[in-house]
Amino acid sequence: MSLFRSPNLVPMLVIAVVIALLYYPLMLFANVPVAQRALDNGAALECKTALECAPQMRSPVLPSPQQLLTGFRSLLFPLNAPTSIIPNALTTAFNTLMGLLLAAVVGFFFAIGIVASRAFERSLLPLVVASQTVPIIAIAPMLVVVLGQYGVQGWLPKAIIAGFVAFFPIAIGVAKGLRSPDPMALDLMKTYNAPTWQTYVLLRFPASVPYLFTAFKVSVTAALIGAIVAEIATVGFQGGLGRMLFENSRASDVVAIWVIMISSAVLGILLVALVNLAERVVTPWKR
Amino acid sequence: MVAVNNVSMTFQTGTVALKDANLEIASGEFISLIGPSGCGKTTLLRLLADLIQPTSGSISIGGKTPEEARKSRAYGYVFQAATLMEWRSVLHNVMLPLEVMNFPQAERRARAEKMLALVGLEKFAKHYPWQLSGGMQQRVSIARALAFDPQLLFMDEPFGALDEITRENLNLELLRLWRETGKTVIFVTHSIPEAVFLSTRIVVMTPRPGKIETVIPVDLPQPRTFETRETPEFFRIATEVREALRKGHGYDVQE
Amino acid sequence: MEAVKSAEGRNPKAEGQSLLGWVLLAAGFGLLLWFIASWWSRTELAPGGLKLLIGAGFLIGALGLARVANSFTKTTNALIAFVPAGLTLLLALVTVEALLRAYQVPVGLIPTPSRVLSTLVDVRQVLLQDAYQTVVLEAFTGWAVGSVLGVGFALLVSRFVFLERGFLPYASAFSAIPIVALAPVLVKMVGIEWQSKAIIVAITVFFPVVVNTFRGLTEVSHMSLDLMRSYAASQLQNYSALRIPNALPFIFNGLKLGTTLAMIGAIVGEFFGANGQGLGFRIQIEAGRFGFDIVWSAIIVASVIGIAWYNAVAWVERRLTGWHVSFRE
Repeated sequence: MSLFRSPNLVPMLVIAVVIALLYYPLMLFANVPVAQRALDNGAALECKTALECAPQMRSPVLPSPQQLLTGFRSLLFPLNAPTSIIPNALTTAFNTLMGLLLAAVVGFFFAIGIVASRAFERSLLPLVVASQTVPIIAIAPMLVVVLGQYGVQGWLPKAIIAGFVAFFPIAIGVAKGLRSPDPMALDLMKTYNAPTWQTYVLLRFPASVPYLFTAFKVSVTAALIGAIVAEIATVGFQGGLGRMLFENSRASDVVAIWVIMISSAVLGILLVALVNLAERVVTPWKR
Repeated sequence: MVAVNNVSMTFQTGTVALKDANLEIASGEFISLIGPSGCGKTTLLRLLADLIQPTSGSISIGGKTPEEARKSRAYGYVFQAATLMEWRSVLHNVMLPLEVMNFPQAERRARAEKMLALVGLEKFAKHYPWQLSGGMQQRVSIARALAFDPQLLFMDEPFGALDEITRENLNLELLRLWRETGKTVIFVTHSIPEAVFLSTRIVVMTPRPGKIETVIPVDLPQPRTFETRETPEFFRIATEVREALRKGHGYDVQE
Repeated sequence: MEAVKSAEGRNPKAEGQSLLGWVLLAAGFGLLLWFIASWWSRTELAPGGLKLLIGAGFLIGALGLARVANSFTKTTNALIAFVPAGLTLLLALVTVEALLRAYQVPVGLIPTPSRVLSTLVDVRQVLLQDAYQTVVLEAFTGWAVGSVLGVGFALLVSRFVFLERGFLPYASAFSAIPIVALAPVLVKMVGIEWQSKAIIVAITVFFPVVVNTFRGLTEVSHMSLDLMRSYAASQLQNYSALRIPNALPFIFNGLKLGTTLAMIGAIVGEFFGANGQGLGFRIQIEAGRFGFDIVWSAIIVASVIGIAWYNAVAWVERRLTGWHVSFRE
């Protein structure tokens, strides 16, 4: 990875260390008033002063590093338990990636429509563009329920919602890619007397691949949000970080929520890295 | 080989790009179309290639209409830019027209390798376009145009974007290719020395409206070398071209 | 380079096509509306013939629409250009209405568009209150705070190379964090009142604004920088005359992206805890008890506000950065 050789490394480490050093006092500062109030109310705590209690509150404003560590340990192991973060994160990742795949397939056809027909573009594109300024995610809870009524269950409804959120950037990206070949390259195909389908297969499709990946990078986070919200809205425990988040949020296990939040963040970053990796494998002609 | 009869081209916008053009080209000639921007030289080439259709007049290419010629893949076209497909290696770029034209699988590679050798790039077959210099990319695109062995080669300012030194080298190489293959070449340029150095005849074109001003024969001896550019005969013809351009108020070509 | 243009223009053939299109479109709408009217108060399934009629109505309408849309491909007026899309939406809605009535789909599961519309009118008071809470208090406040902080932070960071190298990689990594994960933490931290959601929105808007603004401030051509240097311009002048104007289009991209993120952040945030008000709260609660007509109404309200807000920002952008390449014809 270029990151480790980049000039960013030292400044990034310094900033990380500064934040780490600041975190502890900040945590104490945030928690002490709450701890004080708990003590004043005569709560049965194993500590005497507010300062002593601050790092071990059950519902801290900011959890202490020790708490996060214990939280991670109890939520990670055993690795194959249904309550472990690992299998749930894998479920969410699977739902997200299937959603992206779905969006890519539908997006491709939509993009071909846009590129091939001006009428299609004029009558549908503005609606799709407008839908993008709309919080599509709001449909998720309802979509899950309705799809469930028609027997669509398991990963599919989550993938559909994740894909729904990711659809627009992908369709537009692919359409841009299909249009990206130089007019000269199109003329070249014409001088070969190549039929339209060959112009697509040999020229337009390969040219759109980099654009597809740019779109993936933009939409993978949105798709992840879609998958998590869909998991929350699903009735019954079918796994996923969203479900974990919801259960622990209801149980008011603050430390667990923090742990899951950090895990989702890591998952988000990993998915973006995965897209980058896939891009490098699929488009070796790029530098 | 090529016959242009009273061809005119008016664009949608009303611009008269070409007016009453007449031209006869024999097999094996190297013809340059020279003139400033807007003189219709690229338009004429695109008309010959059936990339656009004339408003009036007729064109015959080896006895066929341009459309029939294009459909029977009678010509190779080299554009201003190399237009290589960045996802294909150099070899596969040269194989592209052979794929489109359904050449037998085994023949594609053999032909492409032969063409790369012809332009002196056999060592770069596995490279991707971005690893090549501009001049090398344009050589690949010439190999690609020759890969399916068309009788005609259309070249639209192929060296316009290259520096002067690379351009002179490629000119020499193009002449060698032309001698070895015996193709008929129609070459668009706006450089007077390039036109004089390469051509057997120069078609001088002038703008507003685009038309053929005159055709100047170039009787410099073959094979031409770097020294050819320094002969008095070379200067005489270059001056003649310049005079013709000035007469048609087309004098903003590059020296 | 002379473009190749197809010979199409103001010819009688094209006008005939468009007229035929309008006739077909009207016929399609006619069939669908006639069915809806005749089936308005029926409760049984429609016979197969009538279902075919709906299909035919939709197809005829779509065929007409394609022809009509073709006659709109040349216009440059944004409002007129939207006509085909508006007709598409209308045709889709009328077809859905007809299909739902023909198959007698339970209203509790998928409400007909007409029912959603009447519900929207009925519950507008409640929804407007919800919208006030979600949009004005949460989304807008959060968006404004996040944007101001984001632009300020980017200005600061762009000034110091060390901060830039140390912070920016984190900022782009933070953009990859799903906001939903943030929501429960903040709700627990700050409480279920509107402030927690405003903070969620501010955080989600902050990072893309920082990244975009920073790009705008630093992606200045070397020649322009050299030019400023040759004038012996001060840092302040460097920013006011070059970097900030250069960054404006980027900033606005961040702000526009931010409007969408703000709406999403506020709505999703409410899924995790609200004080009994808000569009997200309404959607979640009503979806849970199959009140889908209210859910759709809430979504319509959120959509209309989302579109209006985005376009308002885009309008300001056009006023301020009309010189930019993206606005040239």
